[in-house]
Amino acid sequence: MRRFRIGLTLRIVAVLVVLGIAAFPLYWMLVTALSSNADLFAERPRLLPDFSHFGVFVDGLAEGKVGGWLLNSLLIAVGTTVLSIGLGIPLGYALSRFSFRGKAVLTVVLLFTQMLPEALMVVPLFSLFRRFNLLDSLAGLILANVAFVLPIVALILKGAIDGLPRELEEAARVDGARPLAVLTRVNVPLIAPSIAATAVISFFHAWNEYVFAVTFIFTPEKQPASVGIANFIGELGTPIQTVMAVAFMFTLPAVAFYLFAQKYVVAGMTAGAVKG
Amino acid sequence: MTVLEQTKVPRSAGRRRRSPLGSRWTPYLFLAPAALFIVVFQAIPLAQEIFLSFTRTTLLNPTRSRWVGLDNFVRIFGDEDFHRTLVTTIVYVVVCVVGAVGSGLVVALLLNKGFRGRGVARALITVPWAAPGIAVALIATWMLNAQYGIVNRFLNAVGLGVPGGSILDSPKYALPAVLATTIWQLFPFTSVVLLSALQSVPHDLTEAATMDGAGRWATFRVVTWQVIKPVVGLLALLMTIWSLRRFELIWLMTKGGPVGRTETLVIDLYSNAFESKELGSAAAIGMVGVVISLIVIMGSRFVARAVTKENLR
Repeated sequence: MRRFRIGLTLRIVAVLVVLGIAAFPLYWMLVTALSSNADLFAERPRLLPDFSHFGVFVDGLAEGKVGGWLLNSLLIAVGTTVLSIGLGIPLGYALSRFSFRGKAVLTVVLLFTQMLPEALMVVPLFSLFRRFNLLDSLAGLILANVAFVLPIVALILKGAIDGLPRELEEAARVDGARPLAVLTRVNVPLIAPSIAATAVISFFHAWNEYVFAVTFIFTPEKQPASVGIANFIGELGTPIQTVMAVAFMFTLPAVAFYLFAQKYVVAGMTAGAVKG
Repeated sequence: MTVLEQTKVPRSAGRRRRSPLGSRWTPYLFLAPAALFIVVFQAIPLAQEIFLSFTRTTLLNPTRSRWVGLDNFVRIFGDEDFHRTLVTTIVYVVVCVVGAVGSGLVVALLLNKGFRGRGVARALITVPWAAPGIAVALIATWMLNAQYGIVNRFLNAVGLGVPGGSILDSPKYALPAVLATTIWQLFPFTSVVLLSALQSVPHDLTEAATMDGAGRWATFRVVTWQVIKPVVGLLALLMTIWSLRRFELIWLMTKGGPVGRTETLVIDLYSNAFESKELGSAAAIGMVGVVISLIVIMGSRFVARAVTKENLR
């Protein structure tokens, strides 16, 4: 009994340490944002956030084009999500339900793209985009992002459709539904959780994406937040409190949304990966 | 002759009716938009990159390429800096894999037993994984700041301060700092995945082992490890591929410096393309990375098959 208590206490202490490690950097972001200059450079730094400096968040939004950056990030993320799911559902369906020539090759290609670094594709995509007038446009950025998330989206959705019974589709077909209607009316509602998972994955891929955005966008007004915030690193003009406040505003929606959806994401990612 | 008859039909498809879903062209109609997209934005650019790796091309005039055969490869493999890049890449990948999977396993084992607040703990540890890489790089750089960073202040207070002050400028400590940041971001993912694997370990098996007098370690080795082994393997593969691709965290923290100590293949590729403006050697470096990834993937399939065979025996 006594030994059990000690074991439990140790476990709880260990969990608390892990939680501290996990949460500290973001906590520190908040503390820094809410510190006064005196606190920041004092001999002993302030360890608790001082909410009387909350105005830094308001100033942060006013600073430069932060509101515009966040809006651009949102547009890119939503565009990427919609397009990758719109293309991924029919592809996943075709991979799951049909046998056709080239299916094995297509599957290998989808897996292969997962190991290509974005940095490798920057140069050829740059010249492709220049030819089609897609440089310095959010639309071009969305296309580049979709190219990178579409394979994993399609593979996850294929896995989800694999798990559905065929009988439902067959019943619909007997009733005279056309193939596209079978997909949209019968299958899509049933794989809604997996669609949610792929939505989260593509949204965050685009929200966080940096390499393409920094190379393909020239006009400051079109920059997403990832590029704007990265420019703060090593730059000395903006007060660190503002930098941290902006970074916090960029991080918080991602973390909150992720916590909300994580049940689907982990299941979706592992299912997709295992089946791939 | 339908397409269906020509291709190998999986056994489970035996109950499928003939001409199951419309005409033989139906599957192609479904996959055409996505396939076209992947051809245009992945396959053609990749082919172009492969072509570039055999040419001398500069960013200043990227439409003019001069064919140089294997010159780029000969040059980079003869370059001492590139040898260092390869070593750094291997160290970075191996430490990331071992660190992320190892810490993930420890955390998953901690969370595997029920206690009050476990759900909250489980949600909270995913915070690093959910945070955008840019924000992580930014806060890590600030925490490691030479004068006012909390890490340096702490190390100085306990008398372990880095000589010269700046961790990210120190050839000795920059890579460990980047690695620690990477593992901090990865461990939530590995622990959540491993936790769900641990929860699929049949309870009666571990109980039976305990009844037979097996200690905790023996139970773990004989029962738990056998169940989670495939998941560990899969995670190790994923971590390897991701670490070979990782760019922004390293680039924003150190740009590959100091003196190339944190320069992995992807960083080397990017700085060749956009700082030295040498698209040809950048492409060649990228190809080396792609080949390494391919070798890792093939190797892992080989190992997985060998392990399955071993288990069947």
